[in-house]
Amino acid sequence: MSFGSPYTTLPDFEYHKPTNLGEVLSMLKQYGDDAKLMGGGVGLIAFMKERLMSPAHVIDLKEVKELKLIKNEPEKGLKIGAAVTLSELLEVGVLKKDYTVLHEALSRVADPMIRRRATLVGNLCEAIPWVDSPPALIALDAAVSIAGPDGTRSIPVSGFIRGPVDIDLGPSEIVTAVDVPQLKGSQSAFEKFTGGSEFSLASVAVTLSNGGRNRRVRVVYGSVNSIPIRCDEVEEAIKDGITPGSIRKAAGAASEKVECVDDVLATATYRKHLVKVITIKALRRMMNQ
Amino acid sequence: MREISVTMNGRGRKRMVKDNELLLDFLRERLEVRSVKAACWRGECGLCTVVLDGQLVKSCLVLAVEADGREVKTVEGITDDGELAPIQKAFVSHGAAQCGFCTPAWVLATYELLKANPHPSDADLVEATSGLVCRCGTYNQIREAVAEVSAASKMRRQPRESLARAR
Repeated sequence: MSFGSPYTTLPDFEYHKPTNLGEVLSMLKQYGDDAKLMGGGVGLIAFMKERLMSPAHVIDLKEVKELKLIKNEPEKGLKIGAAVTLSELLEVGVLKKDYTVLHEALSRVADPMIRRRATLVGNLCEAIPWVDSPPALIALDAAVSIAGPDGTRSIPVSGFIRGPVDIDLGPSEIVTAVDVPQLKGSQSAFEKFTGGSEFSLASVAVTLSNGGRNRRVRVVYGSVNSIPIRCDEVEEAIKDGITPGSIRKAAGAASEKVECVDDVLATATYRKHLVKVITIKALRRMMNQ
Repeated sequence: MREISVTMNGRGRKRMVKDNELLLDFLRERLEVRSVKAACWRGECGLCTVVLDGQLVKSCLVLAVEADGREVKTVEGITDDGELAPIQKAFVSHGAAQCGFCTPAWVLATYELLKANPHPSDADLVEATSGLVCRCGTYNQIREAVAEVSAASKMRRQPRESLARAR
């Protein structure tokens, strides 16, 4: 019998299953800090088993109709509701072609069974340093839509993640969606190294758009520091195009400039090496896109 | 506590559950379905896999209350005539079960894969079962079992196709 044993049971809580956003907001207003929102539950249930979180109320978002939407607006971009699972998102036809970096990051998250439960917004809100969606979203200049007692607001993903397990979200607020703008004429790629771990030891998301005169380039590293970080020197190296020469320059800049940290998964020195390798791999693939 | 009703392998079941109870505990302790194994408790080994409303999920990451009004299928429910399914027979003939602890989850996952994709490539198989672990290392035998079922269904299909062509 597993009831009562540590790490296998959940703390006591009351389960709520609202069906519209209004209900969610009034529950959040009522319970505030005592409540946790549950998307797929993959992260929350794990955190609760470890007693890292012991909310008195769990608010399940799976039946909230406003949050189940995926809206694809040509020219503008993709709006991904908070209750959309990674599998549902991966089935969206335009994702692979127009948002390659995000498709590549999400299609290698955990395994298909986890992807059927986990949501993109849940993944983002955990703000665990080693997950793959934040660097991809930052490389796409994505933003989160937030609803709360004072109305709605939008904030770039890069500012939303303030630190490890620390996001810019009040106790009565909810992230309703992620908005991903469509990049014109872009090339992009995501590359990671896990070494068999459940998490990435290092990851990189690259986007390069050649639409018009304004070249726009983003190179974002994940899992190497407490939050995803951009690297100006690598971006500078490839801004005029990806060639064998610029890849060499970018790889050198990556291992020199990307600030890596030691943690339980890997040493900073090892990460520096990985950063160089994944930069080369991602850029080589983009060269052939 | 609240009452939930679940269609378990085709049969309606009602039980009282706690809000913080896992689907895994509900199945093992309240419905006594012991083919659903409790091992890692954190979504890594996949041995608590069940089919929830047609989708494979890890029941240690699902709350029991979430299954209210829904259909759960375990390995006991893949055939209803008491016979073994072709993939189960192939597991036996290829020795794809060693200690047997993970076998129900692997049978269920490969059964569902073959249902959705009767002729999976090795890459399809690896991807579909990447959330499952077999610590005896019977992966190769499992691959052979899946290949046998896939080949058998191809053979069954061919005569019909040639018949259609002849017409």
